[in-house]
Amino acid sequence: MSRGRYVGIDAGSSATKCVVLDVAGDMLGQAVVPSGFDYAEAAAEALARAMAGVPLARRTVAYCVSTGYGRKNVRGADRQVTEITCHARGARQWYPQVRGIVDIGGQDTKVVWIDGRGELIDYRMNSKCAAGTGTFLESVAVRLGLPLTAIDELAMTSTARTVLNSYCTVFTGTEVIERIKAGEPRQDISMGLFRSIAARVFEMSAVRDGPLAATGGVVAHCRAMVRALEEIFGAPLLLPPLPQLAGAYGAALLAMELAGAEPVRAAERTADALGAAIPTEVRV
Amino acid sequence: MSGTAKRIEIQAAQRLKTLMRDYFLDLDEAARDPARRVAWCTSVGPCEILVAFGFATYFPENHGALLGAKKISHQLIPYAVSAGYCAESCSYMNSDIGAAIRGVSPLQDAYGVGGPPKPDLLVYSTNQCREVQDWFNFFGRRHDAPVLGVCPPTHLGDVTPAHVAFVRGELAGLIERIESQFGLKLAPGKLEETVARSSQASTLWRRVLETAGARPATLSFWDGLIHMAPVILMRGSPAAVAYYRELLAEMHDRVAQGVGAVPKERFRVYWEGMPVWPRVRDLSEKCFDLGVSVAASTYCNSWAFDEYDGGDPLEWMARTSISIFINRDEATKQAFLLEMMRRYELDGIIFHNARTCPNNTNSRFGMAQRLRDRCGLAVLVIDGDLSDQRFFSTAQTMTNLEAFVEQLEARRRPACAALVEEVAP
Repeated sequence: MSRGRYVGIDAGSSATKCVVLDVAGDMLGQAVVPSGFDYAEAAAEALARAMAGVPLARRTVAYCVSTGYGRKNVRGADRQVTEITCHARGARQWYPQVRGIVDIGGQDTKVVWIDGRGELIDYRMNSKCAAGTGTFLESVAVRLGLPLTAIDELAMTSTARTVLNSYCTVFTGTEVIERIKAGEPRQDISMGLFRSIAARVFEMSAVRDGPLAATGGVVAHCRAMVRALEEIFGAPLLLPPLPQLAGAYGAALLAMELAGAEPVRAAERTADALGAAIPTEVRV
Repeated sequence: MSGTAKRIEIQAAQRLKTLMRDYFLDLDEAARDPARRVAWCTSVGPCEILVAFGFATYFPENHGALLGAKKISHQLIPYAVSAGYCAESCSYMNSDIGAAIRGVSPLQDAYGVGGPPKPDLLVYSTNQCREVQDWFNFFGRRHDAPVLGVCPPTHLGDVTPAHVAFVRGELAGLIERIESQFGLKLAPGKLEETVARSSQASTLWRRVLETAGARPATLSFWDGLIHMAPVILMRGSPAAVAYYRELLAEMHDRVAQGVGAVPKERFRVYWEGMPVWPRVRDLSEKCFDLGVSVAASTYCNSWAFDEYDGGDPLEWMARTSISIFINRDEATKQAFLLEMMRRYELDGIIFHNARTCPNNTNSRFGMAQRLRDRCGLAVLVIDGDLSDQRFFSTAQTMTNLEAFVEQLEARRRPACAALVEEVAP
């Protein structure tokens, strides 16, 4: 087994996440940066930030797995693995008992079911539609002129059972305006938005057997999303300590496993070789 | 990964190009020759009757597929929608209607013809879907040509003698209407001869597909999409029979030499549902890169009919037209899929949930879950469409395919580990 660092980079449509593990699997660093227009640069930036706390002499990267929408754009990654496998791997490390993983990201929503050995049983992604994704929430938030955090705070004060009737991002925006005009409380409308996403996630979930964990940026930032999911699934969710980093964490864990499977490597590289633009003085 | 092993092209493809060119040039000539007649027919419709009467036969579904493959359907569909056809109705139909409104056809560039040949007659069968009826009626009105239809019983479990007799009656009625409409008389023995040729081509095509049972699979679903053209467009012709003899011989050579569509075949899977025509190349290359051989499919087998035994040709046509997969009930379809999985020793099945083709999408009533839960099959459902690329997300589908392979890899791993333990001293 190599003595270097194991890196997982999750190049998502909205944010790029990076996790660095040591040989024991302990997390040495992590970072989340906006993906922007250039996934390769975002990955390099995320890696640089994640390595910030690691002494320069110990920044050797033994193996890197990239995942996420931009996984093919991550320079120098040894292997690309889908976010479906990576999220399952990350969540399972935190919660060995987990069977279902709901990941709500910016562009994709995924529901993954695994068996007791961690093998994929079933998985679903949203179809070509923003409904049920972070983009859906962001779009409605822009229309309401509120930051997402404000909508989340409002929603958490709701006591009504409001459910929006539209899935479509455009129609939901129209429905929200209609409900505002009708005098419905803002907090109830806001909670209805999260319930709309939860309903889409529930539809995608074909197995529904065993403990369910939630990962992804939306869950990380919106308590109301967790509430809505728990309502519809009728059970408390397992919430990882770093839900937005589950994919990157899973990728780093897979990096360790893959490196173990390939013990003889031609040459280990510095972090610079991976990111191509990793600064010596790490910007934060 | 399949590494650098190169794809070995199927040699018969060159012959196919010539065949297709001859077919479309002949159609164009027939449409312009006052002494000849052109009939439009649905892809699993009663084309043998039309051929026996001497009509040059044209299949609009093929045009719909070409529009999809050329990635222009989504530009044409809005014209059909503005003419009153729902945007979520069959994208073959909508793009074909849109193409007619706009005067666009891939046949123009490919064969130098003006476009689809003007019909003297249009004949449909609703054994595949109800949409073809309105599709053909649109063109019947547009070209002021008669539209005749056969409407068999659908969603059948067992195909009973009563079903066959009913459809046979419809086909006999169709012959009478054609005779009366055009003042023709079906020559004695002509239908038997045509049906025999049609069956021959179909049987040879089935045998071609069956060679994919070899490891590696001789040809893939993606190859089949190209090489199935004669069994649809030229059924009943000597040319189709000759072509499939040649193709079958090449496939037998492939089996003997161990040549496969995916040389480093890692997994063998089934494709259920329509192709995603605008993304066939992307999907084919992705599967190749992943070492996945799509060794069998419902779609390519849709024209692999039972053999004609020389009896009543109308009875063979009737039985064949209602026995096809698309015309059967859920239980029969599931049994067929399981048999194919067993026969071709497949690792998993991919369902294409085609947005505008509910009739040829079989993941909408729990089939995928049943196959996974009850039979332990690895199952993937991808969202897309046969022709309208607006319903297809390349990034999501490719991720789904890669995850499917990761799932297959994980399934295989413990099996190998268990084997090692078993043989260990």
